[in-house]
Amino acid sequence: MRGELHYDAVVIGAGTAGLVAGARLAESGAHVCVLAKGIGSTHLAPGTIDVLGYAPDRVASPREALSELVAARPDHPYALIGLDTVDHALAWFESCVGAGPLAGYRYVGRFEHNHLLPTAVGALRPSTLVPETMVAGDASAPEPVCVVGSRALRDFHPALCAANLTRAGIAARAVEVDIDVSRADENALGLARRFDDPAWRAGFAARLALKLQADERVGLPAMLGARDPGGAWSDLEHRLGRRVFEIPTLPPSVPGMRLYEILRSALRRAGGRLILGAEVVDAERSGSRVSAVLARTGGHDTRYAAPSFVLAAGGFASGAIELDSRWITHERVLGLPLRGVPAPEQPRFLGDYLAEQPMSRVGVAVDGDLRAEGADNVLVAGAALGGAVPWRELSGEGIALASGFRVAELAGAGAAATTGAAA
Amino acid sequence: MSTTLSTDVLVIGGGATGCGVAWDASLRGLDVVLVDRGDLAEGTSGRFHGLVHSGGRYAVKDPKAAEECIGENRILRRIAADCIEDTGGFFVTTPWDDPEYADRFKAGCAATGVDCEEIDLAAALREEPRINPSISRVFRVPDANIDVWKTVWALARGAQDHGARVLPYHAAVAIHREGDRVTGARVRGARTGEEIDIEARVTVNASGAWAGRVAELAGIEGVRILPGRGIMIAMNHRLVNTCVNRCQMPTDGDIIVPIRTVCVIGTTDEHTEDPDDHTVFQSEVDAMLDDGEKLVPGFREARALRVWTGVRPLFEDAKAGNTETRDVTRAHALLDHEQRDGVTGFVTITGGKLTTFRLMAEDTVDAVCRQLGQERACSTRTEPLPGSENGEPYRLGERLERKEQHLSDAQLICECEMVNRGKLEDAIRRRATTNLDDIRRLLRLGMGPCQGGFCIYRATGILHGLDGLSAEQANEALRHFLQERWKGVWPILYGDQLRQARLDDWIFQGVLGVGHPPSSELDRSAT
Repeated sequence: MRGELHYDAVVIGAGTAGLVAGARLAESGAHVCVLAKGIGSTHLAPGTIDVLGYAPDRVASPREALSELVAARPDHPYALIGLDTVDHALAWFESCVGAGPLAGYRYVGRFEHNHLLPTAVGALRPSTLVPETMVAGDASAPEPVCVVGSRALRDFHPALCAANLTRAGIAARAVEVDIDVSRADENALGLARRFDDPAWRAGFAARLALKLQADERVGLPAMLGARDPGGAWSDLEHRLGRRVFEIPTLPPSVPGMRLYEILRSALRRAGGRLILGAEVVDAERSGSRVSAVLARTGGHDTRYAAPSFVLAAGGFASGAIELDSRWITHERVLGLPLRGVPAPEQPRFLGDYLAEQPMSRVGVAVDGDLRAEGADNVLVAGAALGGAVPWRELSGEGIALASGFRVAELAGAGAAATTGAAA
Repeated sequence: MSTTLSTDVLVIGGGATGCGVAWDASLRGLDVVLVDRGDLAEGTSGRFHGLVHSGGRYAVKDPKAAEECIGENRILRRIAADCIEDTGGFFVTTPWDDPEYADRFKAGCAATGVDCEEIDLAAALREEPRINPSISRVFRVPDANIDVWKTVWALARGAQDHGARVLPYHAAVAIHREGDRVTGARVRGARTGEEIDIEARVTVNASGAWAGRVAELAGIEGVRILPGRGIMIAMNHRLVNTCVNRCQMPTDGDIIVPIRTVCVIGTTDEHTEDPDDHTVFQSEVDAMLDDGEKLVPGFREARALRVWTGVRPLFEDAKAGNTETRDVTRAHALLDHEQRDGVTGFVTITGGKLTTFRLMAEDTVDAVCRQLGQERACSTRTEPLPGSENGEPYRLGERLERKEQHLSDAQLICECEMVNRGKLEDAIRRRATTNLDDIRRLLRLGMGPCQGGFCIYRATGILHGLDGLSAEQANEALRHFLQERWKGVWPILYGDQLRQARLDDWIFQGVLGVGHPPSSELDRSAT
């Protein structure tokens, strides 16, 4: 038994790129369904919108650096997306956050400027649009830093963070606060749920206040509330009488989950549908077009037909692109051709871990309008696009946001053209 | 500025053999100092598949080796019980093997005393449902696996309990000679830079594949080692629970050893000039995966975790005029340089295999005693290693069983290998090390499927907090460990392990920014 559904557009993948594409298409009035095998990489990433952090030197103004990058690398996703789109996408995202489910939680930043925020090891990480809860960590702020952790959280080590900040010329020290946890393996998400509780938060703030010095700002692992982070963060600042900031650490990422909630709610608000646990197992073709995909949910297959598809299922990390044991790469969702694959006699990886690995830039082959090669009505967004090394460039969420935004524009135009032709 | 130590026996080389010599000699009441240029078992001992041979592999080709193996196999099960899992072994005739060999194998086992029982095919397939159903014959032998790091550290600890001094990261830089007598060596601490002169009545060269170089330091020529380099690949699951061997003359890729939570396929045999050459060739990986398919169809679908190489120290005595390189013996070679070269106070032990390390140590210490002119009886055949006193063999699931009861009390740092915070802190203190790779060998930290993705940051933070390291040292420890992990991963990156590696890239480079540690110049001035 199999069902059959028709949409104006079907998006595959529920990471930032897929959710943005789905939300934008829905906002333009299209009847949209987002299908995903599982949640995307939002829960693993820091929840910041990194447009471009390194190129390869540290980037101060992403707008400026991007102009140079797209000129030098015409196959880079940003070159295909266009800088104006990046600008528009950032503005749209900020409005999305404002209208979103997390009242009082804001993102702060401009296309022309990167914040420089501490990581959990105390390195400084350039990032463009960041949660307001992280901003006070910026390297340019004058106050000394007190990095706060707890032995209860194995995923954050304040002394290491503070020591590296000191090396970077930022006065910093570390303190630990006792947190009573019921399980030894508590992670940031478990603690974030506690921070949602005002009484618990008050107790924590009281214990912490005793350890602080007059002019310090306070850095905490990113765990200040899951349901009401804006409230939890401002309450903590108020109680401590100083600036407080979150530092992203190992997954699960609490700010990443907030980002997911913001985007999911934008999709829902616009009337789009999200189906998780729906793995695309087959695609129907008619000529150079995909006419429908078959998605499996709980052993039950449903056919999703649409005039337009967006592939935003990710790259190697999600499993959407695979290198098999005979060293052949495949795009596993729709079987699309790839680009950026090293030739068989060329090395795929190098012995130096931190070098750029030859396999890094593999992605679905697309034309200048993000259209998949050999599939005229499939547009590609996010990590499925090759040509970038986002974990080195710190460009992942920026590419995802802007390409998701862009494919919605293009798919909308394409759908309109098709409708026009049919009329 | 150098200091001086004085001892009865100086052992150069901290592999299984060297540590075995230290354990044996200290049990006989001799004073021992053991040095290694790196960590214990960092060379060949720590770089094999983990098989305790039943002797079956050599039953046809090398009966003497087979007899030694089965004898030592029985002894090790008693004295190193806690390090050994009794998996048993199969020799299977696959369609690619000469069917005639099986009968020769059976006869060879009978002649050499290797317990061997031919079993019914259906029964074998019920026991090991993943092995190739088109096999034609199956023999059961008493193969087992051994945790070599646990063994080597138990040997070292046992020796230390009897007064031995164990100095990893101390390389021999000179061997002292007075005329025809070796009187000890000078070692240099790799971490301290300090040089120590060690006066010894007898110096034992137990440096395996590096034995020729150490002998040269003593001015002794012709100790020629032909390093045979082999690769091994660990797969993410125990595809088999029994050691599965091809029933044929020993060749490449003919054995799968289940050990701990993984199984290891081995191995190749390529001649190399340099025992420190750990190059992995793509063609070797491909051949190994193909060989895996022959024994366990679907092998390639499993996730390859890690590849590594080890060098066998195949010995050839250039002095005896034998320059034939084929069929160099795998039985061990003990060179008493008093008899061979007229140089007293110096003994070389090399060749051999992990299974026979205890016997090699016994023979070596016998020679040491001869040189000392003393009668001291060996007791390693019966004396259990520390941790193995109750004679209970290791069982898979034992650690989980033990830890499950206390899971909520202890913070797990490495979830794959169930290393908790207390254990990690204890090991860091005990080793007084800043090298997470040392901790890995002790605790298996970072050796599971995620290859350190989650535990490396945690362990670095803990190391930094405990040891009072500078940020620079902590960053270096983290980067070094990442690089060490990568070394064994990149040649086998495909399928889910590539997916894992990509997640780790995101964590380390994307989230933590380890590619850009703060430099000492004011970082903020760049903004």
